Amino acid sequence: MKLKSLITAGMISASALALSSAAFAADKTVRIVGFGASSGVVGIFGQNSGAAMSAAFEKINAEGGITLADGSKAMIETEYYDDRCNAEEGISVLRRIASTDALVAIGPTCSNVAEPLFGILQAKVDDAGDTGLQFPVFTDVAIKGGLAGISEWVFRNTPSEAKMYDDLFAWIRETYPDAKTIYGGVEEDFAHSRFTWYSVMKTAAEAHGFELVGEAQWLLNDTNFSNQARGMRRAEPDVVAISAHPFTSCGMLREMARQKIQPKVLVGLTSSSSLETLSGCANEAQGIIIPTSFAPVNDEAKAAAEAVAAKGGALDLHSAAAWENAMILRDVINAAGIEGTPDTLEADRRKIRDGLAALTTAHGLLGENKRMPDGEAVKPYVFVHAQGNAWEVVHNPGS
Amino acid sequence: MDYFFIIDFVQSLADGLLFGTTYALIGIGFTLIFGVMRKLNLAYGAAALAGTYVGLGLFLTFNAPPFVVFLASAIGAGLIGLVVYYCCFRFTPEAHPMASLLASVGMLLFLEEMMTHVSHGMPHPYPSVLSGATLELGDIWIRGDLLFVFGICVVAMALLFWLLYRTPLGLATRAVSQQPRAAQLCGIDSARVNALTFVIAGVLGGTAGAMTAAAVGILSPIIATGLTVKGLIVVVIGGLGSIPGAIIGGLLVGAAENIFLLLRGVTERDIYVMLLLFLFLTLRPGGLFGSAATRD
Amino acid sequence: MDFYFGLLQIFGVHTLLGLSAYVVLLTGQVSMAQAGFYAIGAYTAGAGTAMFGIHILPAIIVAGLVTAVIACIVGFPALRVKGLMLVVATLAFGEMVRLFFFNLTWQVDRGGELVGPNGAEGFRSIRYFPEHGWEVWHVTAFIWAVVIVVMVALWWVDRTRAGAVLRAVGHDETAAQSIGLNLTAVKVGAMTAGGFIAGLGGGIYAHTVTHIEHGVFGVLLATFAIAYPILGGLGSVFGTVIAVLFIQGFLIEGLRFLGDWRSLLFGALIVLAMNLRPTGLLGEHAPRWFRRRKTGSEPLELKEAN
Repeated sequence: MKLKSLITAGMISASALALSSAAFAADKTVRIVGFGASSGVVGIFGQNSGAAMSAAFEKINAEGGITLADGSKAMIETEYYDDRCNAEEGISVLRRIASTDALVAIGPTCSNVAEPLFGILQAKVDDAGDTGLQFPVFTDVAIKGGLAGISEWVFRNTPSEAKMYDDLFAWIRETYPDAKTIYGGVEEDFAHSRFTWYSVMKTAAEAHGFELVGEAQWLLNDTNFSNQARGMRRAEPDVVAISAHPFTSCGMLREMARQKIQPKVLVGLTSSSSLETLSGCANEAQGIIIPTSFAPVNDEAKAAAEAVAAKGGALDLHSAAAWENAMILRDVINAAGIEGTPDTLEADRRKIRDGLAALTTAHGLLGENKRMPDGEAVKPYVFVHAQGNAWEVVHNPGS
Repeated sequence: MDYFFIIDFVQSLADGLLFGTTYALIGIGFTLIFGVMRKLNLAYGAAALAGTYVGLGLFLTFNAPPFVVFLASAIGAGLIGLVVYYCCFRFTPEAHPMASLLASVGMLLFLEEMMTHVSHGMPHPYPSVLSGATLELGDIWIRGDLLFVFGICVVAMALLFWLLYRTPLGLATRAVSQQPRAAQLCGIDSARVNALTFVIAGVLGGTAGAMTAAAVGILSPIIATGLTVKGLIVVVIGGLGSIPGAIIGGLLVGAAENIFLLLRGVTERDIYVMLLLFLFLTLRPGGLFGSAATRD
Repeated sequence: MDFYFGLLQIFGVHTLLGLSAYVVLLTGQVSMAQAGFYAIGAYTAGAGTAMFGIHILPAIIVAGLVTAVIACIVGFPALRVKGLMLVVATLAFGEMVRLFFFNLTWQVDRGGELVGPNGAEGFRSIRYFPEHGWEVWHVTAFIWAVVIVVMVALWWVDRTRAGAVLRAVGHDETAAQSIGLNLTAVKVGAMTAGGFIAGLGGGIYAHTVTHIEHGVFGVLLATFAIAYPILGGLGSVFGTVIAVLFIQGFLIEGLRFLGDWRSLLFGALIVLAMNLRPTGLLGEHAPRWFRRRKTGSEPLELKEAN
């Protein structure tokens, strides 16, 4: 009896496996899939990203889809896979995507999935000794610096934090000439926050003549910041830079308000320029300046934001990359002349990879994105600050 | 020793002790359930936080005043505690403690995902009182909201003592925790007592969750694991089944955490807390107030 | 096809993790230290191949041995306590290990690149398999060869006196002690064996994901380690395998088509499973079709007769 029920359960799961990965056989469609965390504590990234992607593909399809090598048109089909921000699951999801007729994948959202995931891809193209997976991945959200270098099959459209913060501190130096000292706050156990403070913000601030007067560290789920804030209060910094995600950023900002620490300038982490910070602590976050690669500053960006909102998502610096990736892929596919048949699947994937590798610039919502040889991007950006319940552009270096 | 260091030390100690009362409440909840059922409820921290989200829901939809929010959090957690009891403990056989342990793990995962599903994983503001006020004693600043948190936690503990030692229900609870079979022979419905214990523990947990959220000012599902782990540590330091032990344990953990943070920095803080706990356990397995010879 | 082989790799690695907790659970102890042991194995084996360029097989064996030694050392003080106290003591140890790797930075120069654990940013480029021309199915075959060796060994141990001793301690410590069993030796022995298996599993894990960081080895992984054998049933090693298939194959991969609901169902189905089958999916006894092959008196049959 119990054996029977077990076997039944096994068969159900096996058939579910087979069903969900069964290829669609319809004519004239190509598949581009997204993956990332769309459930769990960081699920919001995947949800927004998925919404942005499907809105973008809808727009492309409405405009006629993409052109294949023989001149015929094809529609784009898409799907979003949840990896729950777990490395093993992310790898499994990518292998599953590669086993279908998908041409390219957009994702993942978590840096801790991206790093192992890129590790299982082939490091150098045409390296016969490397048996890594050969599948193009075009990352939208996972932002931790320098990851695309791991594999030549990886391309990223995430903003270059090094460039953004370098410019930000140059701008602060100019705008607030009497600001001399800086104090850093970093969420020590989160790879992205940590990397951004030690390798990006700190370097940029020191390069522009700010004197580092102290650093405060805390952990991802800390709830008490009084010790850290006290150190900050004594140092009386002119600039405070917080490299942390919204939950602890808010906690720290509250503690700073409580201890009456009022720096002239407050700088935040790129990822915090989202709705989360404002929903968590709009009052304390007032005025915090963050560089971001997306803000609805022109008509195209506004239209995109509306289309994504209609899909139930929000367009922010992360999900805007998903939208841009969809648009870039359309252009790459049109130029590469893919066949779009099951027999040419591997060749098509390779063409897309080569097409992405050959790009030197790409069209983005805020203007031209520069494509770097290592697969990274340098995107245009603006500086926003929290005003009331919204992010407002405080400076636009591009204009 | 310079002046700043002494100030920092005293300040860390004060903050830690005040914050430690929330740990103490969570610890009491674990200890109550363990004392009565001899079983570990790993879903407890998550249930407490889920209750806190009930209060938050009231705050966000009706803009309810802080005290209503706190009360709703506590009652919500009590009800969720009851659900946990029925889903994980009521129908799993006594003889298989592993079954209820794992069921409570499943519940923990479910509740956590439920909270992120509802809140989209976003942090939300949680109301607090006296958050602007500070009591300045020279260079030592005592946060008004932490004093409030401390006060509420003390009141909750006092109510619990009254309930356990001055009411028939408390008598029944203590009877079941000492000798379940004998209590049953005396006509005490142990299933009912168990269920009520889960509600009481839930209410305490909800209070702790509400006070943690009020002290931080924001609520996010990511603090569930922290609550669970801290609660377990507190129970063990205090001694299984000992309520005064859980109180002392909570204060100790709160203080030790802040002191190690001050002395060794944040990345090493938890190593020392865990090391202390590990030594404590192996050198004094019964905890502060427990007898070393308790059966498990 | 590679997708299914990849899935089998995950099953294999998780089976090792579950089996490491299974050995300890047989003696009635709930150990939350398995994630810590897994981490030690992962970092040791990763260092072996990525930093010092040794072959994968010696690397994971060394990882297993190192972990076993540490498990043995930890076992002595930790196993003085039992029940909830042991859960918390081992949890504390597991977290200590995780935080140790969180603070560990130790990199060596290999081919112009710094390789090795780098604190919170983790340990990157453990790419032994792709760099040495292993296809996905090679890796899967290798992992399952290790899993089967471990399973056969455990199955064999279970049939000998050692298995009866482990279960006797798990069943009733006082009774076991009164027939002259050395409780400490049995428990520490089980802990050491569990450590060895977790070390092997962790060592392989590091190579299948190529990048490891402290966050992976937290309380959640420790919970999964004990969840597999409990969910599957402590009757035999097959319980753990079934539970891994149930969780990794059905709940995680099989329900993927449910989208958002999958994560919600995950916990709820575990609750349901434990209510319906409190002794685990396969129950407390070894599956019957295996037992029938052996004739004569068996310790398990005798126990059932009582």
